[in-house]
Amino acid sequence: MTEISYLAIGPIIALTLGVVAVLLIEVTWKPRTVWLGVIAGASLLAGFVLAVAQWVEASDEPVIRFRGMLALDPFGAFGAVVLTVLGAVALLVAWPLILEQGRRAAEFIALVLLALTGMILMAAAAHFIMLFLALEVASMSLYVLAGFNRNSAASNEASVKYFLLGSFASAVFLYGVALSYAATGSLTLHGTAEFLADNVLLDSAALLASIGLLIVGLAFKVSAAPFHMWAPDVYQGAASGVSGFMTAGAKVAGFAALSRIAVTSYGPYIADWAPAVAVIAALSVLVGTMLAIAQSDIKRMLAYSSVAHAGFILTGLVAGIDGVPYVWFYVVTYAFQVLGAFAVVSVVSGPAGTKSPLTDYAGLAQRAPVLAGSLALLMFSMGGIPLTAGFLSKLYVFREAVDAGYLWLVLVGALASVAGLFFYLRVIVLMYMSSPSDEAATSTVDIRVSDPVRVALTGVAVVTLAFGIVPGPLLDVVTSALPF
Amino acid sequence: MGFNVLSLLVWLPVAAAAIVIGLPKRRPELVVPVAFALSVLTLGLAGYLVVDFDAADAGFQFVEKTAIWSDLGIDYHLGVDGISLFIVALTAFLFPISIVASVHIEHRRKEFMATLLLLEGALIGVFLSLDLILFFVFFEVLLVPMYFLIGLWGGERRLEAALKFFLYTALGSAFLLVGIIFLSAQAHDQFGSPTFNYLELLELDISRTAQYWLFGAFGIAFAIKVPLFPFHTWLPDAHTEAPTAGSVILAGVLLKMGTYGFLRFNLNLFPEATVQLAGFLAALAVVGIIYGAAVAIVQPDLKRLVAYSSVSHLGFVVLGIFALTSQGLSGGVIQMVNHGLTTGALFLLVGMIYERRHTRDISAYGGLQKVMPWFAGFFLFTAFASAGLPGLNGFVGEFLILLGSYARHPALTIIAAFGVLLAAVYLLWAYERVFTGEPDKEENQALTDIGLREVSILVPLVALIIVLGVYPKPVLERIEPAVERVLDRLEERTGFESPLRIDDIAHPTEEVSR
Repeated sequence: MTEISYLAIGPIIALTLGVVAVLLIEVTWKPRTVWLGVIAGASLLAGFVLAVAQWVEASDEPVIRFRGMLALDPFGAFGAVVLTVLGAVALLVAWPLILEQGRRAAEFIALVLLALTGMILMAAAAHFIMLFLALEVASMSLYVLAGFNRNSAASNEASVKYFLLGSFASAVFLYGVALSYAATGSLTLHGTAEFLADNVLLDSAALLASIGLLIVGLAFKVSAAPFHMWAPDVYQGAASGVSGFMTAGAKVAGFAALSRIAVTSYGPYIADWAPAVAVIAALSVLVGTMLAIAQSDIKRMLAYSSVAHAGFILTGLVAGIDGVPYVWFYVVTYAFQVLGAFAVVSVVSGPAGTKSPLTDYAGLAQRAPVLAGSLALLMFSMGGIPLTAGFLSKLYVFREAVDAGYLWLVLVGALASVAGLFFYLRVIVLMYMSSPSDEAATSTVDIRVSDPVRVALTGVAVVTLAFGIVPGPLLDVVTSALPF
Repeated sequence: MGFNVLSLLVWLPVAAAAIVIGLPKRRPELVVPVAFALSVLTLGLAGYLVVDFDAADAGFQFVEKTAIWSDLGIDYHLGVDGISLFIVALTAFLFPISIVASVHIEHRRKEFMATLLLLEGALIGVFLSLDLILFFVFFEVLLVPMYFLIGLWGGERRLEAALKFFLYTALGSAFLLVGIIFLSAQAHDQFGSPTFNYLELLELDISRTAQYWLFGAFGIAFAIKVPLFPFHTWLPDAHTEAPTAGSVILAGVLLKMGTYGFLRFNLNLFPEATVQLAGFLAALAVVGIIYGAAVAIVQPDLKRLVAYSSVSHLGFVVLGIFALTSQGLSGGVIQMVNHGLTTGALFLLVGMIYERRHTRDISAYGGLQKVMPWFAGFFLFTAFASAGLPGLNGFVGEFLILLGSYARHPALTIIAAFGVLLAAVYLLWAYERVFTGEPDKEENQALTDIGLREVSILVPLVALIIVLGVYPKPVLERIEPAVERVLDRLEERTGFESPLRIDDIAHPTEEVSR
């Protein structure tokens, strides 16, 4: 049995090479920024192709490689596919921001690729230490990206806050790993599962504590309440061009890791962890929705709404392995939606801007019909109006939760999604039904949408509508994207 | 049958909306004719449906079914029966009228017409869906065009009204969705595979407690739509702020989704809960009848008056449905159509006067009879129809409802009968204040009477009001088989015996001779 598989780390190699190439070429040749973009694009494309190859290979015979470190399974492969595409769209969205960075563009691109590497690794890791390293690679890159705008106090604050709280969460996660090792004697996810299958624990306190700590650590990364405090400040403080990527990428990778741990290692203990997940889900949905209503800045509103969406996604996870495909469906479609929403924000308030008051959106439909149309579609989708992916996502996770016996959670979720319509609709009302206030009209007279952003927005809109009307293809894929 | 008439009915308006949006900017004069022609085509399809409908068949006809997502049991599943047939026809009938009534709209006319047409497709979809998810999708999606209709083209307080309308109804939908998911989970347990197919869900064996909860979940959604007292507070605002076409559609068809939902889903899916809770709902309906009428009497705003009259009239429909008798149910169904015609006409009339004077204040008018005799005539006629004057359509429905409900809820029916009286009070008193006397206000003396376009909008409505009032038999004989089937099912499932079935009346002499 060969333990080494280059395919298992294919996408990671591709992206890491991309990082190295971007940085080296920048210091040696100082090319025009567009070439750096081309290199990043090429490495993402290579990563994507290798991820698809992984999928093809692993759907027949999923395996664990590198002595239990990495899984070569459809779950990880799908994560890599999604994250490479997401990365490409994120770079398109951030392109105006990258151009503004001048010579620092290479750093920015390298950080995005590095974050993606960590995220892909999070989805594929089959070993707790590997998972921790992946988490740190992804998080460190995001901390720096949050504070990339060195001259902005808000940006610096966001970065420090994210770093401190994020490190704290990582420590909690690591403590969970240690306790899990103490309880089961294994650091691999499968070893843990095997131990639990073969042995009956006389005292399960340490194990349950470890599960709790692991959930808390990852709940922080996906900004589920009550571990969401950092999200609004960080998303607002970070440059608008990159907030979307931070939200979307962290959610996809975080939920991938959480789902894998929950169902692979602790599947038999679902009766113990599912209620905890359900409580976090309910809290997130309620807190996220309630606080989003009170916001007057669209970035903060989107941040709180992402807390609520984290809750909806967790609603699918309470069903265990049955819910995993729908967790995927939700998180993938949501990731593209939130990326698109922040893309619109980055155009309206400037790619490097940190504040984006809702009043800027008054009468946007007249000034920039394309932006307003895309944002309206995304708001409808996030609000869960039928014929959008957002509606089907909610329907699927609710159905799984009802099947798993969590009717109360679904009721909470359904009611909160109605309350949520209030702030999604408010954006639409502002864009379509009010006329721009005088200051706003003069401050952003002509809103030009650059081509990369336009392409990204079109893609997001197509994804949102297509999977909202014809979910079949994506559902086929996610139902086989199960962890090994 | 060579073509899928139901699919065409749903998707032709949607395609029409796309066509209207796609019309060249340089030719704004094409918008209304194209929208009108396409909506008339839809009406033609509905006409074909009514003619080709087999009156003797109590089941669903013209059924179309394609699995969309078989793993989850979601189908594209359409069908029509005696209950939905005339509501669909009414929908198709009111839209061309609304389009002609909106020709004066200058602001984004193209978008307005497209929004109307989208609304038409979604509404027809609601009444034809036999898959609960499909039903829910149409039910929820149509909020969006209605929301824009109020929010973009409405009156002064349109934003507030639009948001209130949307949130209120979305709140109901949330309960509905949870109920639907729960039903499908039950189907998963009992049949081994999940399904949202209405016809299959009818076979479910649901415990009594679950029935109560589900009845509540579905009931809240529909009660908000009807709107049943005390869920009616969104309605006056939405009606008052909506443009005329919006009000016509809102009162004419949208509210019927609630009563239709009760009849289609609550009665059939949760029979035991229905029998137990019928008295309670009938009581709420009667409260609505009296309350709506009482509030209408004191309204200083003509449009609000008509809006509150809807609360009262829809109360009759709900009372008829929860009488659980043949006459009550048939009366309820035909009254849905009647109310669509009369209230639609009333809103059109209020719209016409508003266009001229830009006020809806009753006290601003007086003596209009002298300046606008044609207008006054149409108004009086419609008011009579709405108040249930024998020989006009309102009478047929209300009489059947009262007849049917007396057998089961005699005390409530007697109270409800006062609602008929109150309807005459608020309508005729409003007529008196607006039309009789001398036109002593200066602004009113220069008003022009309604022209040919306006008359041609009203004439089809008036004609149907008379036809349905004098000769409702063709309509009733198509409604009755479907209604009988609902009652058969109810009796078979619960052991409940309806106090009044059609046979009791058809052969009264036999009873006596026995």
